[in-house]
Amino acid sequence: MAPSKTSQPTQSNAVLSLWKAYNENTSTRLKSVDAFLVFLMLSGIAQFLYCILVTNYPFNAFLAGFASCVGQFVLTASLRAQVNPQNRSEFKEVSPERAFADFALGSIVLHFFVYNFLG
Amino acid sequence: MWARWIVPALLGLVSFVTAKSSSGNSVLVILEPKLDKDNFSKFFSGLEEKGYELTFRAPKDTKPAILEYDYAQFSHVIMFAPETKSFSSDITPQSLVSLLSKNTNLLIALSPKQTPVYTLASEFSLTLPPPGTPLISHFPQRDDPATVIPVPVRPVTPNVVSSKLAPVWFSGIPFAYQNNPLLVPILNAPAESFASDGETDSGADAVVDAADKGGEGLWAGSQMGLVAGFQPVGGARATWVGGVEMFSDEFFQKELPGGGKPGNEQFAADVAAWTFQESLVLRIDSVEHHRVNETVPGQVYTTNDQLVFSAYLSKYNPVSSAWEPFSGIQDMQLEFTMLDPHIRTALPPVRGTPGKYSVTFRAPDRHGVFKFIIDYKRKGLTHLHSSTVVPLVPPRHDGYPRFLSAAWPYYVGAISTSVGFLLFSALWLAGDDRAGSAKGKTTKTE
Repeated sequence: MAPSKTSQPTQSNAVLSLWKAYNENTSTRLKSVDAFLVFLMLSGIAQFLYCILVTNYPFNAFLAGFASCVGQFVLTASLRAQVNPQNRSEFKEVSPERAFADFALGSIVLHFFVYNFLG
Repeated sequence: MWARWIVPALLGLVSFVTAKSSSGNSVLVILEPKLDKDNFSKFFSGLEEKGYELTFRAPKDTKPAILEYDYAQFSHVIMFAPETKSFSSDITPQSLVSLLSKNTNLLIALSPKQTPVYTLASEFSLTLPPPGTPLISHFPQRDDPATVIPVPVRPVTPNVVSSKLAPVWFSGIPFAYQNNPLLVPILNAPAESFASDGETDSGADAVVDAADKGGEGLWAGSQMGLVAGFQPVGGARATWVGGVEMFSDEFFQKELPGGGKPGNEQFAADVAAWTFQESLVLRIDSVEHHRVNETVPGQVYTTNDQLVFSAYLSKYNPVSSAWEPFSGIQDMQLEFTMLDPHIRTALPPVRGTPGKYSVTFRAPDRHGVFKFIIDYKRKGLTHLHSSTVVPLVPPRHDGYPRFLSAAWPYYVGAISTSVGFLLFSALWLAGDDRAGSAKGKTTKTE
């Protein structure tokens, strides 16, 4: 009991400091990317649970809905990797504008396939 | 005025002349000279009264030929030549078999003598005893020789001969049935009878030898046949009779041991009626298929459609010489087949519509080229076969149900992702200036 009592505050301290550091050091753009990623993750989990617990009957609809979340998540995550200033050295030739254009084009193609498959 | 009553009279005349058989009225009787035509006058005149045209011919005559230019000249052939060893060139086992494939019916009599016809019997899945071994029975007690036997008529195959016939006189040979589904047993030997190599019981050596060699057991008992039909796939009928005497006038009139008239006359008429395709003749007039609530047959059907299949059956009525709707079959089945029957279901008669059999079923969830198949084969009845090919396709791209309520979470998920993408893009593009300073700051720290 004793060690857990002592570790509780240190853990919450760690989480708090992490949150603080994140808030301070992350640009608004990356925060919006992160918010979008969290939203996509929750949406994907919700659809997966619905498929398992309720019905997978129009299976194509499930595949389309779930794949749109996963695909958008992957595209957004790669956008975040490319525009993150800390990864500047790895993506020297990719400007943030170019990265966003790739992301937008990829997303539009993804949504085209998703809606084709959804009905 | 004249035509008004002449036409029906002519029609009546025509129907009187038309034979009672469903396959034609010309009969060739191959009668060996030893058997006098007058001895069979009752049988033959019975046939003529029904409307058959009988043509007589000795086995060695060359005319009229049974086959001319490979075309069958007669609708039916009666082979009353049980002891003839050599026939003219047009009567061979091969030509007799080819007659059957041309829908010509055969009535063939056998005797204990070995002849070409005797050896042909094995091609019809009948095993004959060794030559010279007639059927013998000492029961019931009577004054006649042991080879002249009153045989009680038990219905081996239903409806071929009339029920409740008096015993029939028989003299000739028995045969064993091989395992062939096309055989139609008509009359079996009495239980106390056996085949022996003489008219007495003194020596049964030939039979015992045959039993030793062939391992067929003794030729005895009610499993042996005396009259048997054979119906090949084409629908022609061949009947084998162990002895020709059972059609003779003498046996028609000979009094039974217990007193009373024998059933020979009716039995012979029934056997001839079955053989000449008068009785138990069925056909499928037409089949139709369509979706439920439609009337036109579909060009293609979709998997899981509800399909209706109907068949119309007729039975030949020898009394009126007409095909009449027939609803008497209770055990017919329909198969919906692609290589294997995916569906096999009962095809019951429809109440109130004579001759119609119909069933509604769901097409399988499997696409391909399917067949509606009726395959009804029963002993004594004409074999019914019908096969209709239909394609079964999966639903077209617009044939599926859309926007199901169960799928709304998925629709909402996909739409929200798109909306999120648009919002995010707008945020990204709008937040350009603020991000510029952050970027500048971080690059500085780097």
